[in-house]
Amino acid sequence: MLKSNPGLALCILIAIGAICFALFSGDPYYVQVVIWVFANAALAVTLRFVLLIGELNIATAAFFGIGAYTTAVASTILGWPFFISLLAAPVIAGVISSLFGWITLRTKGPYFLLISFAFTEIVRLIYTKTEALGGNSGMIGMFPPMELDAYFPAIAISILAAILFGLYAAERSNLGRVFKAIKNNEDIPRSVGLNVIGLKILCLVIASTAVGLVGGVHAYTNSVIAPADFTYFVAVLALAYVKIGGEGHIVGPIIGATILTLAGQFLHSFGPYENIFYGAIIIGALLLVPGGIVGLGVRFKAGTLMGRAGR
Amino acid sequence: MNDTQTDTLSGYNKSSEGKILLKAESLERKFGGLTAVADFSFELHEGEILGLIGPNGAGKSTTFNLISGFIPPTSGTLSFLDQNITSKSATYISRMGLIRTFQHESLLSEMSVADNIIIATTHRLKTAAARQEKMREMAKLTGLEDYLKVTASSLPHGLQRMLSIAIALAAEPKVLCLDEPLTGLQGSEVKAALDLFEMIRSELGITILLVEHNMRAVMRICDRILVLNHGRLLAAGTPEEVSQNDLVIEAYLGHKK
Ligand SMILES: Nc1ncnc2c1ncn2[C@@H]1O[C@H](COP(=O)(O)OP(=O)(O)OP(=O)(O)O)[C@@H](O)[C@H]1O
Ligand SMILES: [Mg+2]
Repeated sequence: MLKSNPGLALCILIAIGAICFALFSGDPYYVQVVIWVFANAALAVTLRFVLLIGELNIATAAFFGIGAYTTAVASTILGWPFFISLLAAPVIAGVISSLFGWITLRTKGPYFLLISFAFTEIVRLIYTKTEALGGNSGMIGMFPPMELDAYFPAIAISILAAILFGLYAAERSNLGRVFKAIKNNEDIPRSVGLNVIGLKILCLVIASTAVGLVGGVHAYTNSVIAPADFTYFVAVLALAYVKIGGEGHIVGPIIGATILTLAGQFLHSFGPYENIFYGAIIIGALLLVPGGIVGLGVRFKAGTLMGRAGR
Repeated sequence: MNDTQTDTLSGYNKSSEGKILLKAESLERKFGGLTAVADFSFELHEGEILGLIGPNGAGKSTTFNLISGFIPPTSGTLSFLDQNITSKSATYISRMGLIRTFQHESLLSEMSVADNIIIATTHRLKTAAARQEKMREMAKLTGLEDYLKVTASSLPHGLQRMLSIAIALAAEPKVLCLDEPLTGLQGSEVKAALDLFEMIRSELGITILLVEHNMRAVMRICDRILVLNHGRLLAAGTPEEVSQNDLVIEAYLGHKK
């Protein structure tokens, strides 16, 4: 399989390289940056996964937060063991998203977008109003066990990489084809016996389960979480990664997340103006490179081939 | 092959022979103040090709939407294979084996020909190999085997029409409802399509409900014809009977002979 897919082989090598870097590098800052790159890539890829059925799911941010809070509650309040606390995140995010999807996925387009936006803000308000969850200041104290501490960055990167490969496999399967068919013209799958609403819910649940796990990893990586980490802006950033990198292929959001996360390390010095930069990037990408970096690559390839064959 | 099937291939008058597969009783559908279909009753018999004709806006596509569960009727009942399907979903009805095509936007325009057909096999066939095999078989049947990787929207128009039929066939229908499958086809393509419909009926054993504006084709291929006008059944009968019916001629030409 890898022989026929050199791109995938390269990605696996990069992931293994990142895990080794986390294990053997002495500089915790750079290791942290690598984790951020993988976490942002996973956020962008989960956002794009729901774009497969044609829906822009702002609630990606909500389920990211639900995952993080689940892990935080499980580890600090309930005192559950590390891996159980981590696994609780995708389970709870998955269950809540199935309910959310069942209610909301009868709408689409701008309606679904607005509902998913409202949901994200409501969930965030609930955190701020719930004292058990630390209210506005959030929760603190999610630490991996001492004996795993040295390996935690490598574990985090492995989990995030597994999410990326898992979603890639899902997209390549027949299920991914069905999702794309729903986006293209949902009457056709419906007319040949497919349960379109059920499949849309499944797509959302897969993405939310994945992003819930990202949230769980985030809780342990940061050790501190607060409601302000889970605003709709998380999804807007993820959208920026998708649009910069290109929506057409799963490596698009990964490339976009990598570039913008690394650039972000320099932009922090701009303080509040950082967000203006992201906004400008989204608009610029939409206007100048509609297919993102991946699309540019495809066009370049097609262009040179045409150049040879035709003019 | 048994005798009945040989019968089917030669000339026949099966108007009421086969058992009833689909039955509509007093079907009605309103859109706000507009009544698109009114008091429409008909039966579809196993093995027949039943034509459904009528001027633009007569309610033919609406009838398709009703029987396939895409929209619910305002009143009336529908039964398919002796089961009441009046309030069943499109998914449920298509799984039972009633498959319809669309007059407009009848394809997955951005996907390849192969993917278009494979989608339709997904519900019945669970392995990739089985889906591939079925896809190739349907592509061959409809003359699309050399276009598997082509994006549906860039197919020539005639082949796009064939693809919508391939999609429907891949879902293994018992009843196939075709909404204007001949629109925009050239003379030779029309003939090939009609041969295909005959083959679908006689060799695949699929019953066909055909909406079509091409009168010559309808008269040639249908066993019976229903004529709708302003949502109401105007006439029903064999092609000869219908073509000589004064009401039908008036509806189409706007005046009497
Ligand atoms: N979803 C809808 N909302 C409102 N009116 C509709 C809807 N669908 C159909 N109609 C109306 O119902 C009437 C019947 O339309 P229908 O599409 O069934 O006609 P048709 O017989 O298929 O015509 P054609 O030969 O042009 O395809 C028309 O007046 C149409 O405008
Ligand atoms: Mg019509």
